[in-house]
Amino acid sequence: MNLGFLPALPFEMSFALMFGVLLVAGMVGGEMARAAKLPRIIGYVGVGFAMAPLARLVGLDLLFDEARIFVDLALGLVLFDLGRRMDLQWMKRDWTLAAAGLAESLLTFAAVFATLLIFDFPPVQSGIAASISMATSPAVVMLIVQDTRAEGQVTERALNLVALNSLLASIITTILLAAAHLDARVDVETALLHPAYLFLGSLGLGGLVAALARLVARSVEKTRELHFTLIAGIVIATVGVAAMLKLSVILSLLAFGLFTRNDARNYDLLNVNLAPASRLLYIVLFVITGASLPLSALAAGGAAGLAVTAARTLGKLVGVLAVAPIGGLRSRQSVGLGLALMPMSTLALMLHNDVVRTYPAFGTHLTAVFLCALIVMEVAGPIMAQWGLKLAGDTAPAEEVGVATGRHAARVPGA
Amino acid sequence: MSLDFKSSQPLTMGIELELMVLNRHDYDLARGAPDLLARLEKVQIEGEVKPEITESMIEVNSPVNRRYDELLGQLERVRDAITAAADRLNVAVAGGGSHPYHKWSERRIFPTERFQRVSGLYGYLAKQFTVFGQHIHIGVESGDDAVYLTHRLAPFIPHFIALSASSPFSQGEDTWFETSRLHAVSAFPLAGQMPAVRTWQEFNAYFDEMLGYGIVASMKDFYWDIRPKPEYGTVEIRICDTPLTVRLAAQLAAYAQTLAADLLAHRRDEGVEAAYRVYGYNRFQACRFGFEGEVVDPIRHTRTRLRDDLLATLERLAPSAAAMDTAAPLAALAAMAAKAENDSRWLRERYQETGSLPDVVRMQADRWRE
Repeated sequence: MNLGFLPALPFEMSFALMFGVLLVAGMVGGEMARAAKLPRIIGYVGVGFAMAPLARLVGLDLLFDEARIFVDLALGLVLFDLGRRMDLQWMKRDWTLAAAGLAESLLTFAAVFATLLIFDFPPVQSGIAASISMATSPAVVMLIVQDTRAEGQVTERALNLVALNSLLASIITTILLAAAHLDARVDVETALLHPAYLFLGSLGLGGLVAALARLVARSVEKTRELHFTLIAGIVIATVGVAAMLKLSVILSLLAFGLFTRNDARNYDLLNVNLAPASRLLYIVLFVITGASLPLSALAAGGAAGLAVTAARTLGKLVGVLAVAPIGGLRSRQSVGLGLALMPMSTLALMLHNDVVRTYPAFGTHLTAVFLCALIVMEVAGPIMAQWGLKLAGDTAPAEEVGVATGRHAARVPGA
Repeated sequence: MSLDFKSSQPLTMGIELELMVLNRHDYDLARGAPDLLARLEKVQIEGEVKPEITESMIEVNSPVNRRYDELLGQLERVRDAITAAADRLNVAVAGGGSHPYHKWSERRIFPTERFQRVSGLYGYLAKQFTVFGQHIHIGVESGDDAVYLTHRLAPFIPHFIALSASSPFSQGEDTWFETSRLHAVSAFPLAGQMPAVRTWQEFNAYFDEMLGYGIVASMKDFYWDIRPKPEYGTVEIRICDTPLTVRLAAQLAAYAQTLAADLLAHRRDEGVEAAYRVYGYNRFQACRFGFEGEVVDPIRHTRTRLRDDLLATLERLAPSAAAMDTAAPLAALAAMAAKAENDSRWLRERYQETGSLPDVVRMQADRWRE
């Protein structure tokens, strides 16, 4: 008897299996967090934390590395969406918005940088870590906005500030990396050319794909379904092209989003809602992020990690509180805005991984400190952001937030 | 309890405009009203800007005026103040009778005691009432005049509907109606028209009866198309969609003012029952077909195209218009009617052009600045 039709042992794990398992487990974790009145993201990340050792046990851990593609795609969609919400015209009309963004970014940089110097880390490495710390997680903030149906001045301003600090973080990190290379005796031209290539190239790529999207949009029927497919396809392709050309994925997609805004001359592209579809990727994104954060860093990072977390929190809060009230925000709104900027997650992790890959001298101790801060903020960040939006009065009244997308809430008559 | 009618200078006018507050990324309704109102508190404004039932609406009240050009000037200045404040908050403000694709379930009731109570009573009707109308107040000397005008203006309601119509889309679809907003109003139990009372005293008796049953608590509970407003000393026409421009809003007020002047100068005494027998039909024709609707005149036993009826009326009003100095706004309305151009048509044309309702709303918000 030939039993060759049966699978050979041990079973071979596949992407499909992993994606499905992460998705369902993440969703269940998210709802458990929800039941405990916590943001769903904490559930997603928690499932990741829990699955990391389990996955290693059944030999899935290698697949986590290969799952980077999901992370890139999810982040691509997030950044594109964020770019669409960013409004340069608004920053021109209300200077306090951009000023608040600059203030909180620079204060965060200064505070984290100083803290790391106090803990005796070398200046260049400390600078790189400080610049990554400026970034707020776009995915976390967007998901919390979705889940709580937050709407209003603080939400809009928070999204713009997140776009701004993500942009600043990725540019300054790149420039500092170049400086680090200079330290390692790379010639001046390269040190100047590299950031220029990254900045202009990514901006150009964003503009180019936006033009392409409009061109294709003009030639097909203007329906939500078609335009959704078009945008998703171009976002995914742009992630690929940016990686291929060694450009900044973050900047390229922010630029793509920014350039697709419709104005009086340009209204080819529909502003389709990406949220329902991208939630699938978001869940996987957070589970994978959780799984790739070594909890051992909490101990290894220790006091320095906690000090960095405190410095970052302080920098962001003070920066926002110093400027936002001038723009007419009430004090609850200003505090809410500051808190909404706390989440730190995948974007920072990606920037950090890029740094470690190209700059091994970053050091294992600093990595531990950085990851420690990241893990703390991975959990505390969403709670603070959700609380901040609530404090500002932007979240929907509790009884109206339902399950899943929160759109089909059952309301008690007369409640 | 009898309602006192506060006498006011006859033929003065004032308007209320309900406006939509929009976000600037997908031009859906936004809950920007609280922040916008807070900001406007710090600027000097002629008239008033107030909250409405949901946080996506604001209401502008003009001061009392006698002249069309003064009213227009005031409205333009208030509009500029509002758009300046809105720009700083990155929200947009627009006219139009309804938002073409907002989801009513996403609206949030403005947190005041009265609005919360209305919401508790009417359930989803309250949120669906996120529609935007123009109310025109015409001053009258006495409650009797108010009752008289309320009845006599009723046959002209179709004109105001066709001229102001600006809500052809609802829930993301073309409704085939020139105005879909009025359906949101009709759902309320106290919508419709005033009963056929003849004097202020008779009106008071009716009001007392309703009060006695506990059906109403104040005049505010009647959602009629036209109603006396005793505390202002006015007759209030509540049928119009908010137009896309303040100019048209002022022109509509001038038409109401001229009509009232004419009706008060040449008093009619035929019964009102006949007019109300065909009222619902004529109103539907105007809502559905606009200028192309057909209206029935139960006194002359004729059936006329709304546009012709309107043009004939405007022509007949020429002497009163000359007296009230409203010839220019009435001529503008006649030109609109002659070309069958109203805001609903403009909105449909923009949709034809762009194929996207968010872009239509964006253009609508741009037009509001004109």
